[in-house]
Amino acid sequence: MSISTLSVRRRTLLQAGLALGASQAVGAPFVVRALGDEPVKIGMVNPLTGVLSALAQSEVDGAKYAEAEINKKGGILGRQVQLLVEDSANDVGTGVQKTRKLIDRDQVNAILGDVNSGIAYAMSQVTNEKKVFHIVPGGHTDPITGTNCKWNVFRVCNTTTMDAEAVTPELVKKFGKKWFFVTPDYAYGHTLQDAFVKALTKAGGSYEGDMLPINNTDFSATLIKAKAYKPNVLLNNMGGLTQINCMKQFTQFGMQNEMGLGGALFELESVKGCPPEAQTGWWTYEWWWNQPNVPEVVKFVADYRAATKNTPSARVWFGYVSMHTVRLAAEKAKSLDGPKLAQALEDMELPPDVALQPGKVIYRKGDHELMPNIFVGEVHPPKGNADDVFTASTLVPGEQAAGSVADTGCKMVEPS
Amino acid sequence: MTQLILFNVTNGLIIGAFYVLMALGLSLILNLSNVINFAHGNFLALGGYLAFTLSPTLGYWGALLVSPFLTALIGLAVERLMIRRIYNRDPVYSLLLTFGLAFVMQDAARYIWGPNGLPMGLPAVLAQPITSDLFFITYYRIFMVTVVIVAVVGLFAFLRYTRVGLRIRAGTFDLETVSTLGVNVRHLRTFNFALGCLLAGLSGVLAAGQIGLNPNMGDELLMPSFIAIIVGGVGSLIGTLFGGLLIGMAAALTTVVYPSASEAVIYAILMAVLLIRPRGLVGEEGMLS
Repeated sequence: MSISTLSVRRRTLLQAGLALGASQAVGAPFVVRALGDEPVKIGMVNPLTGVLSALAQSEVDGAKYAEAEINKKGGILGRQVQLLVEDSANDVGTGVQKTRKLIDRDQVNAILGDVNSGIAYAMSQVTNEKKVFHIVPGGHTDPITGTNCKWNVFRVCNTTTMDAEAVTPELVKKFGKKWFFVTPDYAYGHTLQDAFVKALTKAGGSYEGDMLPINNTDFSATLIKAKAYKPNVLLNNMGGLTQINCMKQFTQFGMQNEMGLGGALFELESVKGCPPEAQTGWWTYEWWWNQPNVPEVVKFVADYRAATKNTPSARVWFGYVSMHTVRLAAEKAKSLDGPKLAQALEDMELPPDVALQPGKVIYRKGDHELMPNIFVGEVHPPKGNADDVFTASTLVPGEQAAGSVADTGCKMVEPS
Repeated sequence: MTQLILFNVTNGLIIGAFYVLMALGLSLILNLSNVINFAHGNFLALGGYLAFTLSPTLGYWGALLVSPFLTALIGLAVERLMIRRIYNRDPVYSLLLTFGLAFVMQDAARYIWGPNGLPMGLPAVLAQPITSDLFFITYYRIFMVTVVIVAVVGLFAFLRYTRVGLRIRAGTFDLETVSTLGVNVRHLRTFNFALGCLLAGLSGVLAAGQIGLNPNMGDELLMPSFIAIIVGGVGSLIGTLFGGLLIGMAAALTTVVYPSASEAVIYAILMAVLLIRPRGLVGEEGMLS
């Protein structure tokens, strides 16, 4: 056999091998993968950069933990779950663009997001247009399940009305009825302050306040005004990192000696970012990890800590519940079709290992709002455990704080 | 109302002093090297995070001394490895490079120190107001203003009375001639960039004590710094000083009457300056181009 023959043979062999390899790469997906191997894709859009990044990351962590848990138990409808996370960069345009990308390009079966109420609201326009099932884990502004409620949108976290109604009686009782608001100038801030004003006015109170840019870093000018007004309590409605700045400056100025401090949310991520003297005030928590009388919570916290070395916050719970909500709805509907998922979820009660709190926790049919308990209590420096910074004094039923569906202004229009 | 305004003028000067320190570092780099350093805010954050990491070992005062110099060292490395390669190109290259660098540094900070806010502990003596009437003037804010004054005086003295400072000032006007006279402009630029980063790092340590640490902290402070430079006058450090104080006071006073516009007002000042006096308050004609 001549060398040239051998070369030709070898060349042919190489070419054939190359062609075979290419066909595997290109042809294989179409040949080998059937629908059963196609994962259930859930897209999550959250501000992983920006002032809300810490809260957003916690939601993602909770969702990823749930993803692993669901997949270990066989997935959704026999298919593995794949969570696709995109960064909205705390910008409405970016959030909408990423939502469209997840739906159009990645063909997700459901959308979760956003922490930023304004972005969540904008996303809901897109998901409604595309008829995609949408859970808002942590965007609080009322219209999402209120005046602009949509058949495909459900929400895990409270409305601003729920938080305001839950904590106002406690603040009035403890401190008094003359309030000063420090509020971020965007959707969440506006509806939160409106809700507080409504609740305070019902109690016969008075107020003043400042609306500040969402990224505001220096609060000294506002705190000067607050001090001049001499309120009974200052309500810090800021969120994320800006709330930490406000708390620090409030206590640096010694204002805690002259007035009470409180508000709706002072989340675990934010509390841990404050020095001990700024870990103070009366607040609502939408979920709290330290519930020794609820065995499901004790187990969940132990398992989560073992897996991640972190204590779960309310934001982790939002992400966790959101993922399981998709699973539960799909299992009931036996489908991933948006309208069927939505219908299956209405008035659904969460099982105890997902609700992770006492009592019934239900997605209310009229407005698609989850009705959990609202933990009202005091934030304080850590007691032993570094994460033990909150003691609940009252549990307010969510439906009591939310009022009726008619009160929310929601008029649900079912899909055609 | 008069008391409220007086309080806010004082408060504005305190805020403005901080903007001055941040803007001077940025201005130094811009004036000599024509580099628009979009990563300057991230060097600020880096200074703060280094102080946070070092303070358990060195204490607050040790961290305050060491962190700015560490930041300067890192700035020096960045200049040698990256910035130096684009000096002779259009300034848009420096803008794009430092813009990308800003994202990389922010994500690195998020990866190393996490996305959550971190509290920077202060010595107890600093963390209280001087009197109950002047409650918004804490010992820490007085300390901060003192450090800024010392740093600014030190910087101006350095530029005025040292040989290197003289060369930096001369290079701002005509780098070619300075080079022709035998000065190693590569070393000069490297030193100047490191000096700018040192000021950023010092700003970061001071900011950390005031607003805490987070990966985005530099972004929020970068734009006011740019505006301070433009309002004061590109190419003029004295102008940057006035520009920083002016926008600090404007933001504080606007909060008294219309808090939502406290951020927008500094951009309104920028627009007004660009329309009426584009060279800035004390800048020289043609410097902006």
